[in-house]
Amino acid sequence: MATDPMAEIRASFFVECEELLESLQDALSDMDEGSHDNETINVVFRAVHSIKGGAGAFGLDALVGFAHRYETVMDEVRCGRMPITPEAMKLFFQAADLLQDQVRAARDGAPPPDGSEPCLVALEALMGGAPVEEDIEEATDFQPMGLSFDFGPAEDEGATPALPVWTVRFKPSAALYASGNEPLHLLRALAKLGECKTSCDLSALPALDTLDPEAACLEWVVEITGDVTDFDIREVFDFVEDVCELEITSGGADAPAGGFDLPDLAPPMGDLGADPFAATPGSEPMLEMPGAMPGMPAPTPVAAPPQNPSGVEMNNPPSLADLAETPEPTAAPIAPAEPAPAPAASAPSTGPGATVPKGNAAPAKENSSEPSATVRVDLDRIDRLVNLVGELVINQAMLAQSVAEAGLPPNSAVMTGLEAFMMLTRDIQDSVMMIRAQPVKPLFQRMGRIVREASSAVGKEVRLRTEGEATEVDKTVIERLADPLTHMIRNSVDHGLETPEKREAAGKPREGVITLSAQHRSGRVVIEITDDGAGINRPKVRDIAIKKGLIAAEAQLSDSEIDNLLFLPGFSTADQVSALSGRGVGMDVVRQAIQGLGGRITIHSEPGKGTRFSISLPLTLAVLDGMVVNVANETLVVPLSSILETATLTDEDIRALGPNTNVIHVRGAFVPLYDLGAELGYRAPMENYAGGIVLLTAQENGSRSALVVDSILEQRQVVIKGLQRSYGHIPGVAAATILGDGQIALILDPADLVSNASGRTRSQSFALAG
Amino acid sequence: MQTISLAPRLDLSQASPLASALRDATGTDLVLDASEVTHLGGLAVQVLASAASTARAAGTSFTITPRSEAFDEALGLFGLAPGDLQTGEAA
Repeated sequence: MATDPMAEIRASFFVECEELLESLQDALSDMDEGSHDNETINVVFRAVHSIKGGAGAFGLDALVGFAHRYETVMDEVRCGRMPITPEAMKLFFQAADLLQDQVRAARDGAPPPDGSEPCLVALEALMGGAPVEEDIEEATDFQPMGLSFDFGPAEDEGATPALPVWTVRFKPSAALYASGNEPLHLLRALAKLGECKTSCDLSALPALDTLDPEAACLEWVVEITGDVTDFDIREVFDFVEDVCELEITSGGADAPAGGFDLPDLAPPMGDLGADPFAATPGSEPMLEMPGAMPGMPAPTPVAAPPQNPSGVEMNNPPSLADLAETPEPTAAPIAPAEPAPAPAASAPSTGPGATVPKGNAAPAKENSSEPSATVRVDLDRIDRLVNLVGELVINQAMLAQSVAEAGLPPNSAVMTGLEAFMMLTRDIQDSVMMIRAQPVKPLFQRMGRIVREASSAVGKEVRLRTEGEATEVDKTVIERLADPLTHMIRNSVDHGLETPEKREAAGKPREGVITLSAQHRSGRVVIEITDDGAGINRPKVRDIAIKKGLIAAEAQLSDSEIDNLLFLPGFSTADQVSALSGRGVGMDVVRQAIQGLGGRITIHSEPGKGTRFSISLPLTLAVLDGMVVNVANETLVVPLSSILETATLTDEDIRALGPNTNVIHVRGAFVPLYDLGAELGYRAPMENYAGGIVLLTAQENGSRSALVVDSILEQRQVVIKGLQRSYGHIPGVAAATILGDGQIALILDPADLVSNASGRTRSQSFALAG
Repeated sequence: MQTISLAPRLDLSQASPLASALRDATGTDLVLDASEVTHLGGLAVQVLASAASTARAAGTSFTITPRSEAFDEALGLFGLAPGDLQTGEAA
């Protein structure tokens, strides 16, 4: 084996950590919004505790040390000994951020980051001074085993005394006996793991004269209480897993007191005597056990409502780190009514947590993003798949073209087969794209931190609200959005929002609100950053632009043109260079980054009310549905998502507007007319557009425009081949593609094209200008 | 009243002989001597439990005495009490 199992376990620990940090942030946000219930606080506590537990197993002492002190404080909160004040919340958030730094540093093998001490000291001061040092030894004394998932003793701070309880249902098959194995040894091995309560189900046992002495008729349910993991238990059954039915569930049956005591098994035997051989000889009606044996725990005892001895709520499914110290029973893998748990349970699964499903345990408070079973896959593999699917789409287009050229009748088998093939290709492609799609939530959570840091740096009170966290976007897009978003959030905090005093003077609450939202709109993802600040100070922007020589002093600019000055390189409105911004590296870089993703950014600002930045991004960077058109003998692709309708122009539709431009009258509104051929420089504007074909396009901001084309060829899926890397940003062009005949066609970006367009659709002015 | 001495190792190989011995004795009051038992396997437990409940149904007596320590220890691990394998104590 080339792979290092320890490295893999370590890697999955850090993946686990990210999830824990996410739930930590969620819970802190809930707390911040006023939910001070035990459940929420426990989620925070558990997340920190689990990270500590896992870190201890890997000897990450710095991380353990930090987590321990954080956890100690959260424990105080949990026990109600420490009030949740806004100041405390701030420190909790800060500590969570620092914990994240610690985790990342540990993951990357970097030295533990400095600067966590003041926050911890402040936290401990809140707790009433005296950092609790007495059990830090114990906390760091965490490293037991080598490769097992046993993360060591579930030490507790006095609040969670319950040891894990496991229920093992074990039914040997005849093959187990035949292969020389012996349940006694297995039961003995279990008994060594912890305190065992064993009960034996005799209900399937036939009468002596029909008993096959070598058949297997008994079944055991063992409840183990102790510092035991699923893995430990499985290890016991390592060699017999395929010759027995085995079901391991966490959580005790919690049978009525005494239910397991051996003497109590006598009455059932009495029942057996009264109706001794109700069970069909030789059959295995093992699941009928509970009725026949009142003293026995149900065979699926964990179906009982989740117990909560420690009062700890599980908001997340059991996870790797949880296994280290599951103090409360997790719920059953089997619903109470489930009649046949055996097959699934007996599947020879060896991984830890195999029967601890990644479903949710206790009814979680809010399951907006309930993690389900997942597989970690190397990104390269997915990218390879995405590329292959891209090639498949091209290949399919070529095939379609060949078939068309062969002149086969439309209802021939080849044609219908090809259609089915196309649908399949589309399904495959959608599925592949879905693999790459990820919710924006982690990205948004990072922004929460940026807001906290930025606001404290400039002494403003800011709250970040997020909307549409579940919106899914291509992974690459998410990664490449982080920097521009960070920049914009900082900008909003620094420039967008006023100081608390100014806000109060303006009759606004002291605390500013920045809203970060994501949503799908007309085939794209729109991310908006809205602040409720003062809005763009347009006279000031204009002055600065003139001062910096960016515009002429006498230039007449519309509001939106002034707003867009912010995107010019080297522009900065801040009077002073603050800690956050004002260094002249600004919105132009942001715009470049967004354009690099095939996106656009727009500003909308209202004085006194605030500013909104909208980023519109393509959903995927791989494939799009396009309309293939012909303009001046060039083949172009227009994204279908931007096309509202197509129309043929008549004389009455066209109205002249000014010396150079035309508008058309469509559905009761006037829409500016753009000649694609002229805009792209293929030809001069035409004399007359009557009879011409237009594509009516819509932008995210709702504005419409009409693009004149010579003819519409077809509508099809095209594979996006980026041009950015080779040619940079080409105005009006989003990318290129390869068509079925091998020809290369440009994919247009209508909104960008229109924003850069001259709008010339009158030839005489062209002649004059030329 | 019939007494049967149990073999020291009641494993897979002994399950069938034990079953036939007990079947042959069905209908009579039985005492099993388990004093020599060093190993009590799962299959033997099945046979003994089945024989006990059969005896219980037939109204005959079925007791295991004396029992070795190993026998009782195994019984405990199996989650059973001596009464489960006898007619007397359970009744």
